[in-house]
Amino acid sequence: MVLEMKDINKSFGAKQVLKGVSFRAEGGSAFGLLGRNGAGKTTSIRILMDVFPADSGQVLLDGKPVDYGKIGLGYLPEERGLYPKKLIGEQLVYLARLKGMGKKAAEQAVDFWLKRLGMEEHKNKRLDTLSKGNQQKIQLITALAHDPEIIVLDEPFSGLDPVNAQLLKDVVKEQIGKGKIVLFSSHQMNYIEEFCDSIAILHQGEVVLSGNLRDIKRSFPRDRLVVRTQSPEKIQAAFPCTQGEKGELILLLKAPEEKQAVMQRLTRDFDIDGVEVFEPSLNDIFVAYTKEGQA
Amino acid sequence: MRQFGMIFSHELRTYLKNKVFVGITLVLVLVMAVVMFFPRISGLFESQSTPEPGISQGGEAEDLPVMYLGGVGGNEAVEIFTAGFPGYRVEPVEGDGESIAQLVQEGEGECGFYLPSETEYVYYAQDVSFHDTNAQTAEALLRQVYQLKRMVEGGMTPETALKALQVQVSGEVVSLGSDQTRTFWYTYVMIFALYMAILLYGQMVATNVATEKSSRAMEVLITSAKPTSMMFGKVLASCVAGLLQLVVIFGAALVFYNLNSSYWGDSPMIAMLFDIPVSLLLYMVVFFVLGFLIYAFLFGAVGSTANKLEDINTSVMPISMLFVIAFVVVMSSMASGNVDTLIMQVLSYVPFTSPMAMFTRIAMSTVPWYQIVLSVVILAASVVGVGILSAKIYRVGVLMYGKPPKITDLLKSLKNA
Repeated sequence: MVLEMKDINKSFGAKQVLKGVSFRAEGGSAFGLLGRNGAGKTTSIRILMDVFPADSGQVLLDGKPVDYGKIGLGYLPEERGLYPKKLIGEQLVYLARLKGMGKKAAEQAVDFWLKRLGMEEHKNKRLDTLSKGNQQKIQLITALAHDPEIIVLDEPFSGLDPVNAQLLKDVVKEQIGKGKIVLFSSHQMNYIEEFCDSIAILHQGEVVLSGNLRDIKRSFPRDRLVVRTQSPEKIQAAFPCTQGEKGELILLLKAPEEKQAVMQRLTRDFDIDGVEVFEPSLNDIFVAYTKEGQA
Repeated sequence: MRQFGMIFSHELRTYLKNKVFVGITLVLVLVMAVVMFFPRISGLFESQSTPEPGISQGGEAEDLPVMYLGGVGGNEAVEIFTAGFPGYRVEPVEGDGESIAQLVQEGEGECGFYLPSETEYVYYAQDVSFHDTNAQTAEALLRQVYQLKRMVEGGMTPETALKALQVQVSGEVVSLGSDQTRTFWYTYVMIFALYMAILLYGQMVATNVATEKSSRAMEVLITSAKPTSMMFGKVLASCVAGLLQLVVIFGAALVFYNLNSSYWGDSPMIAMLFDIPVSLLLYMVVFFVLGFLIYAFLFGAVGSTANKLEDINTSVMPISMLFVIAFVVVMSSMASGNVDTLIMQVLSYVPFTSPMAMFTRIAMSTVPWYQIVLSVVILAASVVGVGILSAKIYRVGVLMYGKPPKITDLLKSLKNA
């Protein structure tokens, strides 16, 4: 399964929110949609979910326009919330049935997921009696219960404690393992880095970077080395250096071709704990592409 | 269609489980019970406490309030007034109007008449109540006396003259169209019920939509169901809930009335209320449902533009105003008795006013069938149109956070919806 957004344009009034947005997400892997606040992530997701149509452009599944009547979509919106005053089991079944499930199947699926997420004891409670994190787990069920082919998770980890975050990670990995398309939207780069094989960075309504995350990282010039050492002074004297975030040294090379020679010299002449080619973190890439004034 | 059915039954169940909804219904049923049992209950009290004044009625004149009488006429006038005002003890007074006024002022008697001539009177009373007909009675009495005297002077015997003056005419009114003296009350009740139901349920629909929006449940709902299914499901559920409530309340009233009908025996107004022709009941249901729907859709659309529940009251103001104006116009033409004025004719085709205006005309006047059909067709088509339009507003509105959009912004965004 391949989901493609192709050249999507969308304006609200005079403001063009999306300018020719294109990206591609594959089944059996997670896709990260990144962008600063107001970059157009939610609008892209809503077009993908058929909440409103694009002004132009296409949403394709395996090369054909998505048939929303047939394909299952699961959505965990960034703005969380269900019916606070209603019983949890009841509203989950209602929402699952709205997505096309039969009554019995919906009840079974809801029971399964309540158990899977350790929430079965809360089935007959009102939603507003739960903590925020637990409410979020309930909301996750609305995105998964009907076993959708495409799952869109908008900031899924915000507000979860480490145990729940791990639970969510396991669930997401499970879904990816089933060959589903999982689309993440998040500011938490570490999670994206952990899960996503490919990403797209949206900035001011445009995709400024997209593709396989490893390829993207490799595409950055490999002209820097990360050196861990107990005695940085000597190295600093010999090479142009900057200090990294965790106290490591970052050596700036004149050209990428130099790196082999420099590494050999470092291991031979200096007391170092380790050396490797510097790869930018997703955070570095994100900041580099979405700084103010860049488009 | 499947989604619509699910949303409809979900929303309807929500209404029926709502404690406030059930509570209001029960309270209103209770009110109906109190009203309908009132004559029986008050009858119980009366039969225990009233025997003493009951015996003195007509017997001891001492207990009756005093009415002073002065001026021309002498004993003859006193006799006539005594006969004409059985509820008073008529006391002759010497002197002019001033002295009667003083007596009444001092509270010795309740009221008084001064007759400067055979054809003039001055009525003195401490407070003239809304139901005080003493002046009219005196006027009739004086006129009769005057006429009798002149007739006798002209040569008639007093008996013939009196017979001629007191002749009884019997007759019957046969109305071939509507008889407003009969239709007024139930039309009034129906219009008022429509008014209350629309404002109450309209507000409920708006609140319902705004609650889903402010709780952000909308974010999930909008990706799960079509806006048209959402809107029609919600509005129709509220309509059914409303009708159910009205049927329960008025049904209870009817049952209670039948239990007590013997105690209501001599109240024509109440009898008329329950004497609605079946055809009119059907019109009532048609106009009620259509009128309800068209406003409920508008309320739903407006609710979707509100960000907080607090905003709703201001947001629904224009719709409520439109509706109140229609209500006032219809009510005032009902009161004037002429329900076929030009403005009423126009209003009976305008979708937002026709439920009240056309129903009033059907009930209180005679309207050709094609006018009724035309009005219903326009209204039904508008209901569908407004329903679809409000579903579109809803789709745009529920995802707009921040300050409530202006109408022009909404219309602009509709083009994209």
